[in-house]
Amino acid sequence: MRSLWNNRTARPYLLLVIMIAVFSALGGDTVLTVATLRSVLQHFATLGPVALGLGLTILARNFDLSVAGVVGLAGCVAVLAGGTYPVVGVLAAVAIGAIFGIVQGTIIVRMNLSSIGVTLGGLLTATGLAYVATGNQEIRLANANIPPIMDDPLIGPMSLRFLVTLAMFAVAAIAVARTRAGRDLLAAGSDPKAALVAGVPVNRVIIIAFMLAGICTALGGALLSFSLAAASPLPLSNTLVPAAAAAIIGGVSLRGGRGNPLGIAGGVLVLSALQSCLTALRVEPFVQDIVTGGVLFLVGIMDGAELRRRLNDVYRRAGRGAFRRGAPSA
Amino acid sequence: MAAEEQNPQQPSGPLLSVKGLSKRFGGVQALRNVSLALRPGEIRAICGENGAGKSTLVKVLTGIVTPDTGTLHLSGVECRFNGPRQAQASGINLVSQELSVCPDLSVLDNIWLGTIGVPFFHRRQHLREQAAQTLQSLGAGNIGLDTPVAQLSTGERQIVEIVRMLARDTRVLILDEPTATLSDQEIGRVLTALRAVKASGKSLLYITHRMSEVFDLCDTATIMRNGEVVADRNIADLDRNSLIELMLGRPLEEMYPSRHANTSVSVALSLRGLRIPKVAGPIDLEVPAGQIVCLTGQVGSGAEAVVRAVCGLVDNATGHVLVDNSPMPLARPEKAFKAGVRFVSGDRAGEGIFVSQPVAGNLVATRLQRRSRMGLLNRMALRAEASQLAESATIDPKRLNSTASELSGGNQQKIAFGRNIADPDTRVIVMIEPTRGIDVGARAEIYKLMRTLCQQGYGILVASTDFSEVLGLGDVIITMYRGAIVGRYTADQATMPRIVADITHPEA
Amino acid sequence: MPNAISLSRSSTGTPTQRRFEPTQYARIAIVLALAAFALTTPGFLTEASLRSLLSAMSFVGCVAVGMTFITISGNIMSFSLGASLAASTIVFVATLPLGTWTSFTITLLFGAALNALQGWVIGYLRANPIIVSMAAFSLIIGIMSVITDGNGLYIMGTEAVIFKRNMGPVPGPLIAFLACAVVGQLILSFTNIGRTIMLSGSNPSALLAAGVEPWRSTTWAYSFAGMFTSVAAVLIASRYGSGDLLHGAGFEYSAISAVLVGGTMIQGGHGSVVRTVLGMLIIAILQAILVLRGFSTQYQHLTLGVVVLIVIVLQWKRSR
Repeated sequence: MRSLWNNRTARPYLLLVIMIAVFSALGGDTVLTVATLRSVLQHFATLGPVALGLGLTILARNFDLSVAGVVGLAGCVAVLAGGTYPVVGVLAAVAIGAIFGIVQGTIIVRMNLSSIGVTLGGLLTATGLAYVATGNQEIRLANANIPPIMDDPLIGPMSLRFLVTLAMFAVAAIAVARTRAGRDLLAAGSDPKAALVAGVPVNRVIIIAFMLAGICTALGGALLSFSLAAASPLPLSNTLVPAAAAAIIGGVSLRGGRGNPLGIAGGVLVLSALQSCLTALRVEPFVQDIVTGGVLFLVGIMDGAELRRRLNDVYRRAGRGAFRRGAPSA
Repeated sequence: MAAEEQNPQQPSGPLLSVKGLSKRFGGVQALRNVSLALRPGEIRAICGENGAGKSTLVKVLTGIVTPDTGTLHLSGVECRFNGPRQAQASGINLVSQELSVCPDLSVLDNIWLGTIGVPFFHRRQHLREQAAQTLQSLGAGNIGLDTPVAQLSTGERQIVEIVRMLARDTRVLILDEPTATLSDQEIGRVLTALRAVKASGKSLLYITHRMSEVFDLCDTATIMRNGEVVADRNIADLDRNSLIELMLGRPLEEMYPSRHANTSVSVALSLRGLRIPKVAGPIDLEVPAGQIVCLTGQVGSGAEAVVRAVCGLVDNATGHVLVDNSPMPLARPEKAFKAGVRFVSGDRAGEGIFVSQPVAGNLVATRLQRRSRMGLLNRMALRAEASQLAESATIDPKRLNSTASELSGGNQQKIAFGRNIADPDTRVIVMIEPTRGIDVGARAEIYKLMRTLCQQGYGILVASTDFSEVLGLGDVIITMYRGAIVGRYTADQATMPRIVADITHPEA
Repeated sequence: MPNAISLSRSSTGTPTQRRFEPTQYARIAIVLALAAFALTTPGFLTEASLRSLLSAMSFVGCVAVGMTFITISGNIMSFSLGASLAASTIVFVATLPLGTWTSFTITLLFGAALNALQGWVIGYLRANPIIVSMAAFSLIIGIMSVITDGNGLYIMGTEAVIFKRNMGPVPGPLIAFLACAVVGQLILSFTNIGRTIMLSGSNPSALLAAGVEPWRSTTWAYSFAGMFTSVAAVLIASRYGSGDLLHGAGFEYSAISAVLVGGTMIQGGHGSVVRTVLGMLIIAILQAILVLRGFSTQYQHLTLGVVVLIVIVLQWKRSR
């Protein structure tokens, strides 16, 4: 059990199992229904792409704040451009996401700037563009056929939106685990200087990571807007915090180089299940805030660089008693 | 000079030819008109002390740094590299001094990391087998291919990096202190592997302090000093003493201020049974007040760790440290400071000074508490104190308001020293590599500063891998190898060959 | 010739900074230019529009003063200052019955404590400041929602009127903002703790090696941030007559933008409150001009984003 907990990828799934056990104990039949399962899958489809995008940049030892804004912008673009042909809308959105990623990645790498600063600018710009493009109003999607295509169950309880997200994760998982590019991504995050000396094109890797983040996020945002049949810029912190939480719970280390999309998927599942089960139990939404925040807080503490040293300190002082001056003992 | 032998089987002309390389970093001329040539199948040693320019030369050859002047030719073709990847494409590969392995990746992934020609889906069986074979040939078959490198010892990581280089299509192999962390057996196997590489017509540049390997493995040697090439010899024409003489150059006495007899009775710092798990221990030593004690050893000897433990920067150190005969708790930098220990780090930008702050602010950074009343700073007093300290540390007073990053390395180090002058609470100053990357002129000034500090009654403990510095400066010299003390010498007892022998290959 | 590759991305970047560097002059020049542009915009000089501009700026400004401390301490930004503000408005309204100045003090202490806790975790355990502040955001909103049951609290009496009052033509909130700025700058320049916060942001390892544990200054930096944010909370609660979790939403983004535009670098280690005030002015005037020239409010965010990006790139150009 211990080794399973220590395995960063398995941890979120372990958490998931524990959570399901707890919720079934609390609610039993009201919680474990097909409706809840569908709700979980739909939340996965909403949160997943953003968490995956952010997670990829964290793996590369960066942090893409702009995902929260690109999601909204992509949605607006998709709705605006996808009036006649929805596919065009999706492609336009993905293109915008890719461009955002490439531009930010290039600025970060060529100018050797902190990713937080640049993506903060990107976040505000993306949100701003979304507001401008929609004229600060909600734009409705004309074609009423689209939302059901997005959300109706296609295979079992899984909707198209969920399947696309699942496919995204699958491709990402294979890429990170089995391709040279994935290995280079982890190397760039683990130790960029070492990777560079070894011959990895670190700059290129990072730019691609940001581009992929933009693509994933944009695709997710486009599909979400189609599903809602409307485009409106999303509130910033409500997207960013769960995405970061999902990635962190999913075992992605903030120091870079550790983690994988499979784990991120687990983290997203944990948060989605949390949200759906709490709704099924008719618990107020802010309990969810508390639990998400609490788990994130705990993970932040556990990931703290000084934690072990401080604990050692406490043991040291407790075990040996106060350090007395003039104490002998060899 | 090197005798050029023309072997009719080999292509005529050198494989690698470097002419007139120069590189300046800020105020320091790291390379000055360096030229050398490498024939196919030649192993050339590059010898020199710290700061001689060896690492900068390596960085230029592998494209990590672009030279200000000079050319590089491979098989007669001029090359300009923009990074290690391009260098690799041309056939130059490096095993670096600072390990270039990614700790979160597996051994297998690190072996093939960055190698050109690895397919997109890189988990191929033949790559796995090749890696296993090469590991086996170096006697490291016990290292699991899927182990995360973070779990390996430094020696094992070094082997992984050597395997990475051997697995590549290389024409020129460059090794920068590759054996510093290896066991004797491992060293033997690495040398055998390198000889095999030489036999296949490839060339090697071998940078090392280890005399035995220079004479064992290499055909020729280039000796560098202060960024210049001072000599270019066949190994057959050299012996240990003449090599060391060439490396050191200027006689020791000119650089180092004269010593004073030990008239003090008190012991500023005393270590008893200091242990750092897996790194060093047990260590017993004493630093008398007014004396400089030098701890020297190679990378992995534990000298640096011991000094860090004294300042409280090592969490798991155990044992006893006494400052002025009062015990000091370990692993608490604040307590070490209160006890009177002051730390001057060789890693200036990392741990020494605040590069984004002005010089004046740096100088008084540790005195804020004393010059503030109820939390408010007495800025006038601080400013006055800063100018006094600058004067004592021979820093140009006009630079007091400049940002520390604008100063040369030598001046930056003077700031780190200046902080500790005339501080009544100081008892002992501990240092690691105090003159790393500092040019000769500034070094002499810093040594003078150190003697001045001694005269104020402080004891000084220095960990340094610069042998001439250790010999010229220390009143007491302690050599370390693999975490244990090998020898203790007073200034008159110590000689260079003895020290070098102690720290690289103690016979006992 | 520049080095081929440089990988240092965080605190080893060494920006040069003298006391009166050209870019500071440039910023002052920009403010003056903008002001001139603004003054020639029809409708700008009406007292009402000026008053509302300055008030809105003051609310965010106080938060920006607080954010400055966090950025200088090397912790980039806090995502929870908006939530902290909201919680503080509720605390303020809830404690008003105890007396105007009593509740003012309690609110400030509350804000300081709420953020000090985050600062302690970040400093003592070296937890990631982004994650901790994000977690705090969720926790604060969640816990306060439970306590208030999702409702706002309304001010019944007139105890809070003083915070709305104007001193002659000058809006009250502006005075409060300027007071915060002055106090903030004094702390940074003239106190031991302020200087230590800067050193800690510049190079925490060097500070540790010099025998000072950086976590104390980190905790103080966050406390100050919380304190100044609570001042904004008091002002807002008084202005809108309520304590509500919706107050201050998104303020942290405007605040960090003001800090960055003002010239404090995101790596930490130097900067000043004065710069943040300048940055605040630039952004506020820019936004006011846009509004008055007919661009609707949706351009605010966009302007902010583009300005932040431009400033960051310019800072890079300067440090080359």
